[in-house]
Amino acid sequence: MSIGGTLWYHWNVNLVGPAALRWARWRGERRARSGAGWKSEVLTPPLRISPRTKELVGRHYLKGRHANLHGKVAWVTSGAPLEFLTALDYYVLYPENHAAICGTVRVVEEIASEAENAGYSRDICSYARTDIGGVLSGKTPVGRLPRPDLLLACTNICQTVLHWYQVLAHHFQVPLILIDTPFVYSEVADHAVAFVKRQLEEAIPVAERVAGKSLDSERLEEVVRLSKAASELWMELLERCQHRPAPISVFDQFIHMGPIVEMRGDRGTVDFYAAMLEEVDKRIHSGVGAVKNERKRMLWDNLPIWYRMRYLAEFLGQHGIVVAASTYTNAWGELNHLIDPARPIESMARTYIYPILNRGTGDKLATMRRMIDKYHLNGVILHSDRSCKPYSVGQMGQRERLIKDAGVPALLLEADHNDPRAFSEQQVANRLSAFVEMLEV
Amino acid sequence: MKPLATVLRRSEAIEAFKSYGGSIAAVFPIHYPRALLRAFHFLPVEVWGPPGVDTSYGAAHLQPYICSVVRNALSFILSGGLDAADLFVVPHACDSLQGLGSILTDLIPSRRPVIPIYLPRGRRESDLHFLADEFRSVYRRLEMITGRSPTEEELAACIQHEEAADALLAELHHNRRSLPLTEGEFYRFIRSREYLPVETFAELAGEVLNASSPTEMTHARGDDGRVPIILSGIVPEPMALLDAISQMGGAVAADDLACCGRRLYPIGTSEDPFRRMAERLIYALPDPTRGNPIEERLAHLGQLVETSNAKGVVFYGVKFCEPELFYLPILGRELMAAGIPSLTVEVDINDPLPHQVLTRMEAFLEMIR
Repeated sequence: MSIGGTLWYHWNVNLVGPAALRWARWRGERRARSGAGWKSEVLTPPLRISPRTKELVGRHYLKGRHANLHGKVAWVTSGAPLEFLTALDYYVLYPENHAAICGTVRVVEEIASEAENAGYSRDICSYARTDIGGVLSGKTPVGRLPRPDLLLACTNICQTVLHWYQVLAHHFQVPLILIDTPFVYSEVADHAVAFVKRQLEEAIPVAERVAGKSLDSERLEEVVRLSKAASELWMELLERCQHRPAPISVFDQFIHMGPIVEMRGDRGTVDFYAAMLEEVDKRIHSGVGAVKNERKRMLWDNLPIWYRMRYLAEFLGQHGIVVAASTYTNAWGELNHLIDPARPIESMARTYIYPILNRGTGDKLATMRRMIDKYHLNGVILHSDRSCKPYSVGQMGQRERLIKDAGVPALLLEADHNDPRAFSEQQVANRLSAFVEMLEV
Repeated sequence: MKPLATVLRRSEAIEAFKSYGGSIAAVFPIHYPRALLRAFHFLPVEVWGPPGVDTSYGAAHLQPYICSVVRNALSFILSGGLDAADLFVVPHACDSLQGLGSILTDLIPSRRPVIPIYLPRGRRESDLHFLADEFRSVYRRLEMITGRSPTEEELAACIQHEEAADALLAELHHNRRSLPLTEGEFYRFIRSREYLPVETFAELAGEVLNASSPTEMTHARGDDGRVPIILSGIVPEPMALLDAISQMGGAVAADDLACCGRRLYPIGTSEDPFRRMAERLIYALPDPTRGNPIEERLAHLGQLVETSNAKGVVFYGVKFCEPELFYLPILGRELMAAGIPSLTVEVDINDPLPHQVLTRMEAFLEMIR
């Protein structure tokens, strides 16, 4: 790296950028304290820590903007074991998170159409189309994405990511590491865990070669320890929603989950969630709920509908409904007990084979039923996500079982996590209205 | 042609096998160890849809954005079409088939056992090792289900039969232009490998190959002046497609179809039967569902075009099939750069062959003639 490049990196990433982000955070916190700008009769204003989330995520993307000047960059799938990359000082980017940002700021249609114009079908995942469209056009709401030196795809969330990353590997002509995690239909087979472990062991030399340095085992243990700590804090935060009223809703969880997904081996992430937990506890002690007049509590299944979160929160909030738990946000915390910093590779193999998306439909149904009891929930909203087949296949049977076997009202809501063109507001409103009427709120 | 007249239909093959005391394993797409099933006296009968079923059964369990191969398969099961099956085998080819395997295991009560098989997505030593272990695990499941424990020698004999039949299948593909079969007849015959006992198929294949002659070929296929193309995709359904290609003046010179050309498995080398079965699948021709890189697929398609003198490639896709859809823009672009034109069309296998598709194919054939 050139001296000029280094200076430019530090000027932007360590001086000017952070100062601008701190200023934005200060203004946000001031606004949050005064309550100015919040217009909802039914929802409590966002957590005061929200400007800090923006700062943390903003800083991550600021680093990314200049990361190619500073070191090696890896693009990874959202459920991938990133700890060894963090320990090798890669800047780690999650195209799915970036796509979700595009969804929340509503630029997906514009960016995904770049991929569609290049021949990518609208029937493929909207995260993938957003990412590929961004790669082909350079369009992004975060300024600029760094070029990857390495790609890491882990099939524990879907097979789609493998195809998507093959496209990226062909485009960027960089190595693609595959961590293939056999689907767990009922129980995890020993040979499947051994397979994942072996792949992790094979992946490390590839990542070392690209990084130009060796993996320090102590550093890896430290990253795994931080990852576990962040994951534990995240789970604690979610579990606070057992309280009535729920101090935060899943819409808050969705907004604040960025760090646990893409920065889980960082000290800053642990500090951030510790601070968030403090604020949530204050809400509990003050009896403040995410929905002002909480009457019913719901479970959300599947990914969020990123571009309509406020609409859904308001619609449900008007009827005193809080969505207090989600199988999706739960996935980032429920496996923390499997992580063992003293045996990083082995425990990573066991952890990363077992996220909810890599488990059978019966297991997911059992998870939902456990969560209904744990969080004292009155119903389930299953988002049938056109872009996420592994999460969505089975939902029709799961809904039927919830209603018939558990007596829990359940609604199937057709949409897409990122593509607003697959969202029919009137249809959703009709279905939600009928569901709410049935709940007698 | 005489051998073709003696080819049993699926239901007849099932009935005949059962009458000798055998059992039926309904197997979903795409790759699986035939020999392992045969060693336990199961006849593997593949389920590629099929087209023309009442999809309302499947629609009660699957969303409309799931492909017709999977939706039809579930509909077929629920409407009683697979009542003759004693076992379901669901290889993991994609997210939708993964879902099907899981639904059959967890959410739809069935008196039949379901065996899912995970196929690794690479060609590394670790993939091979895992797949051999996965087959050992399937062996143990079959042992529990049947109470039988075939010896290594018995398993090796089954593998040998399958390898011999696959060699004949490859020969049929290779010599397709000198066989006395029309386009439709050729594919109906090679697709009988999906359900015929290996011995029966091998015998018939030998007869067909013996009957090959360039003169008959010209007469039967009318290849004179026809435009040779490569057909790529999952499954050539509805099968009327193949006769339609002939009528339009085209000829399938080779294929890259998941149910046909992508399953010309190489002969294994290992002495260990499980590893040998794994080798055959891992080192098979490139297939996106097994995670082979785009470069390998491009090289394979290029080679098919070169050896068959094809004038273009038709990507014949099933709607919502992500493993195919992701690669089409790059494959099309790179083939074009190599001077090979291509066309992409999409169908739902439960629909009649859309006229729009035929018109596009006709225009494509006209363009590359």
